[in-house]
Amino acid sequence: MNLNLSFQLDFPPFNLTIEQALSLQGITGIFGHSGSGKSTLLRAIAGLEKNLVGTIFLDDSCLINNSDRKPKTFIKPEQRHIGLVFQDSRLFPHLNVLGNLKFAAKRCQNRRLDFNEIIKLTELSSLLHKQVDELSGGQKQRVALARAILAEPKLLLLDEPLSALDRQAKASLLKLMLNIQKQLQLPILYVSHSMDELQQVCDKLLVLSQGKVIGYGGIHQMIHQLNYTQNHTQNYAQSHASHNAQVENDLHQQTSLSLPIKTLDNGHGLAVLSLSSALDEQQEIYLPALAKNTEPLHEQTLRCFILASDISISLIEPFNSSIVNHLFAKITALNSQGNKVLVTALYGGKKKNGGEKKGQEQIFFVNISTFSQQQLALKIGQSVYLQFKAGAVRTYLY
Amino acid sequence: MISPDVLALVTTLKMAALTTIILLLIGTPLAWFLAKMQSRFKVIIEAIVALPLVLPPTVLGFYLLIAFSPQYLPGQLWQQATGQQLAFSFSAIVIGSVLYSMPFVIQPLQKAFEQLGDPLLEAGSMLGAGTLDRFFNIVLPSTKASFITAASLGFAHTVGEFGVILMIGGNIPGETRVLSIALFDHVEAFDYAQAHLLAISLLAGSMVLLSAIYLLNRAAPKTPKTAKKAKRVNNEP
Amino acid sequence: MKFFLPLSLVLLLLALGGSGSVVSASEQPLRIAVASNFTPVLKKLLVEFHQQTKINTQVISGATGTLFLQIKHGAPFDIFIAADSARPAQLEQQNLVLANSRHTYALGQLALLSMTSSARLSDLHKVPQRFAIANPDTAPYGKAAKQALKYLNIWSQYQPKLIQGINVNQTFAQIRSQAVNSGLVANSQLVLNNLTGVIIPPAYHQAIAQQLVIIKSSDNINNAQRLSDYLRSAAVQQKIVDWGYASFGNNEQEQSHDQP
Repeated sequence: MNLNLSFQLDFPPFNLTIEQALSLQGITGIFGHSGSGKSTLLRAIAGLEKNLVGTIFLDDSCLINNSDRKPKTFIKPEQRHIGLVFQDSRLFPHLNVLGNLKFAAKRCQNRRLDFNEIIKLTELSSLLHKQVDELSGGQKQRVALARAILAEPKLLLLDEPLSALDRQAKASLLKLMLNIQKQLQLPILYVSHSMDELQQVCDKLLVLSQGKVIGYGGIHQMIHQLNYTQNHTQNYAQSHASHNAQVENDLHQQTSLSLPIKTLDNGHGLAVLSLSSALDEQQEIYLPALAKNTEPLHEQTLRCFILASDISISLIEPFNSSIVNHLFAKITALNSQGNKVLVTALYGGKKKNGGEKKGQEQIFFVNISTFSQQQLALKIGQSVYLQFKAGAVRTYLY
Repeated sequence: MISPDVLALVTTLKMAALTTIILLLIGTPLAWFLAKMQSRFKVIIEAIVALPLVLPPTVLGFYLLIAFSPQYLPGQLWQQATGQQLAFSFSAIVIGSVLYSMPFVIQPLQKAFEQLGDPLLEAGSMLGAGTLDRFFNIVLPSTKASFITAASLGFAHTVGEFGVILMIGGNIPGETRVLSIALFDHVEAFDYAQAHLLAISLLAGSMVLLSAIYLLNRAAPKTPKTAKKAKRVNNEP
Repeated sequence: MKFFLPLSLVLLLLALGGSGSVVSASEQPLRIAVASNFTPVLKKLLVEFHQQTKINTQVISGATGTLFLQIKHGAPFDIFIAADSARPAQLEQQNLVLANSRHTYALGQLALLSMTSSARLSDLHKVPQRFAIANPDTAPYGKAAKQALKYLNIWSQYQPKLIQGINVNQTFAQIRSQAVNSGLVANSQLVLNNLTGVIIPPAYHQAIAQQLVIIKSSDNINNAQRLSDYLRSAAVQQKIVDWGYASFGNNEQEQSHDQP
């Protein structure tokens, strides 16, 4: 499914100008800080913003054409077959949970989904007869999600659906979203200001800043690109310690990975992922053991990330260290940022003396002080050992 | 032969009910329009709707009398259309009451619509509900309490109306003599016993009616519905 | 929705429910627009009138000014029994009444009423705290009250003390409820309510001629004429006098035409 956006929308002092073709498969994330226009973009696609100038096409059908080209078109939101889950649920207070779900199902013209299947999928069986105001935030969003799905849209839009929830509710809803996407093969556009959430579920990422697209691509690639451009919070633990502080500063320089799972628990409290290199070597990455019941994990691979500040550099291979993960990599870039240096290193690239390239290269990001860089006399092209503890390999979901 | 006061009561109820129905029919779209309107003219329309609150009823009645009389255009048009004179007819007091009680119906509805805002309507349209569907299945049930308030205020205010009807009604038994005017007549004729009786029945009747409406409004909410629906649910497809 | 259905049903039933009972009688009754201060007397007289003539009547009571306005704008009345002579004369000038139908049917008498003491005429010279009269500009009894106070040269002292009723009925109610201790009202009101006051000598003010007219557009002119004749018959005139109005004997024509 292709979405072609070409429009302008003025909200003085904000202006949203989008020229972008999106190929919608799986979950596409839309990331930006507040005021970047990401929610407005979603509303424009939904048809809730009528005053835009330009065009939006979903595959071959024109949703809106307000440009000079004739004929002018505006498909009403209720005729677009696009679903939208709002940040604030917007359940109908005069109906109970079942009533809200049926509101959607009744208005769906070609029902293909089984009502009870969706209720089971969204784990709502026990809540059907509750009034809306008896539900917790997470339950409300699950109902909202189920309601949107029961309208059987071609495309589902999620507008910060998790931002009002606690960590546990977020994790369970993210799993639910992955599950739904996989089972229904429904393209999803997912707006969030939380990179942690997006990193876990998105296949692609669109990044907005001040009403403009500043990047679009694969999720890992886009996160790595942001390492160079955005303002980052240095202390992950601190920003996550207090619930309120996390909202704006959720972006950390990091390495984002999807790696095949070898074992969930190797008997020593560690899980093992495998990282293949161009040399057909299998490098093992250790992390804290994953619960046995996390199956089925996303395609038997694990989404995880390692903060740049959690990786250190050693010039010799650290055999005699408690730190379990160490990788041989080559420095490809050094970016000075105040008294810190962002080191970009490539693992699994061609060896110096040549050889065939088979597996994949993996880029890593390391944040060290300028002092250390000078001590070790690091240069571009230099080979080093990257080391990080098992606990530094983080995953938001499991 | 019905007693004149009973006749006045019947006329009053008929007038108030008809007025309330008409006000709900034209007041709902007007209140909706006002709630959604962004233009500068909104203030002007709101002021016009509120005017009956400011004008003394007899003054409003005087201008309506002129307008409804066969000598002026509105009265003439009515006469051409219906073949009957508008002034001093039952239709005249209904029209007068509609104008006079308008703010009491429009204002609660407008406030309710403004408070409801767009969020639930947007949610509705994202689920495929069209304009009318949204109005009947989201707006109406969500603003039920305000509709009850509007209807009861409009009804009660019409029952208690005096000045406008005094001017344009002509106090004709069975046609335009309503309770408030019959009551006034008793007082004017020094027939205080009859006046007290009528006043007390008017008060008692209104008390019963209004409390019944408010009771109904309070009894309507959520819990009982849940129990009722619970049985049906198991056979859902 | 579940709530709206019963609500609208109830309203509809109410709206339709009344319609059956508003059937007009086989013959349209005589519609009498009467000034409210004469209404109680008229109602008593109509009982006999109906016995004699079998004519059905409908009494529409109101302030003379209001009834005048309504007749001007097409009110479906047959006969107008006013509390003054000015409004019937105006209707006559505007050609809205039957020619030669304007007659005086009663002469009002002004009376001093005090609820605190039995009133004497000389009390008028002690200016009270508050004093009630009907509006001198619009109500006939108010006009006469002003003339009487002027005649006694006490108008300027009374002026700041006056409580003005919109008509003499309101003035009467104000005194009777003792909101105001004393004032000038219609003698007929005293008679009707078994109160005693002092009649102001007719020489103190212009005659309060109460006149009736038959409305030109009436389709019941014959019956209206019969009522007019009945009210002015000697027997009925005596009754009217008994109800607290002045007698005006044979000089009716003179009385009715020297009014402005």
